[in-house]
Amino acid sequence: MAAERNPASCYLDERTFRLCCQLFLQHSETIQDGWSWEQIKGTDEGFMKKTLLIPVKSSVLHKQHECSMQDENMVTDDTQANVEDETAGVQAVCEIHAVLRYEYHVLYSFSYQIPVLYFRASTLDGRPLSLEEVWGNVHPNYRQRLQQGPWDTLTQQDHPLLGQPFFMLHPCRTEEFMKPALDLAQAENKRVNYIVTWLSVVGPVIRLDVPLSYSTEVSAPD
Amino acid sequence: MSDNAESPTETQKDDPSIQHAAIEHTGASDEKKKIDVLLKAVGDAPIMKTKKWSVERGRTVQSLAQFISRFLKLEPSEQLFIYVNQSFAPSPDQEVGVLFECFGSDGKLVLHYCKSQAWG
Repeated sequence: MAAERNPASCYLDERTFRLCCQLFLQHSETIQDGWSWEQIKGTDEGFMKKTLLIPVKSSVLHKQHECSMQDENMVTDDTQANVEDETAGVQAVCEIHAVLRYEYHVLYSFSYQIPVLYFRASTLDGRPLSLEEVWGNVHPNYRQRLQQGPWDTLTQQDHPLLGQPFFMLHPCRTEEFMKPALDLAQAENKRVNYIVTWLSVVGPVIRLDVPLSYSTEVSAPD
Repeated sequence: MSDNAESPTETQKDDPSIQHAAIEHTGASDEKKKIDVLLKAVGDAPIMKTKKWSVERGRTVQSLAQFISRFLKLEPSEQLFIYVNQSFAPSPDQEVGVLFECFGSDGKLVLHYCKSQAWG
């Protein structure tokens, strides 16, 4: 039985969310992509979770033949140095790789009736990243647009299920990128796995890539 | 690529890795180094006058998105989304050559694109 969905609707009911996640997780298991389902004890609520270690290049300006590195601003410097402008005078001399720990949670939002991506980020020694540092790690493909307006504003929010401080990609513009994909698939008589499509768009914004095989190997729920 | 390109031709000249592919294949697209990409607009995205392009395999999705955005003269506040296999957004760092290997058919890679509305 095909999932009943108004062609114009980009909303996802909770049951379909769970089913999509189940199918997503099966493939993650197959390719060892690291996703797991976390159930909240005593409830039937849960979310998908994945932790990533992300190497970050940190370019340092050469000052009087000495490399000076400000640990706190490491990621912020990276923002400026990583942008693809060949501004005269910017010379990256030392490139030091740091590793950051990003933890992603895919939750269902009852109020928006769509999935939402929460995440938290820290250095390897456990220091949480600031909002500015997290902004600095937004993929350059999206950074300009994000700076212009809150397409997917990064905000700090308490995790609805864990109650801990997280960052969140605000879901208010989800329809903008989901509708075309859903309509396209429908026009071709294909059903999509909402979570696969949605995560493939929002994930890379904050350095979470979804391998291509999800596109072909994960089916839509019945 | 020139940021101030006023016409597609200028953009092409500055960017040899993305070239207009004629419908009748020339020698250029026989090179293994380039793949043919067919760009299709979805939603209310502007339609590219030139839809078929020869793109170097190593070109990233991000780079291609930038090219399309410039070609379509999108506002800085407008975001371009690219989909492969109708409903999957490849990572911006993904190489188009890899996408071609996975999703190409009839000698070309079909990519759909749409844009978000400008904010405000």
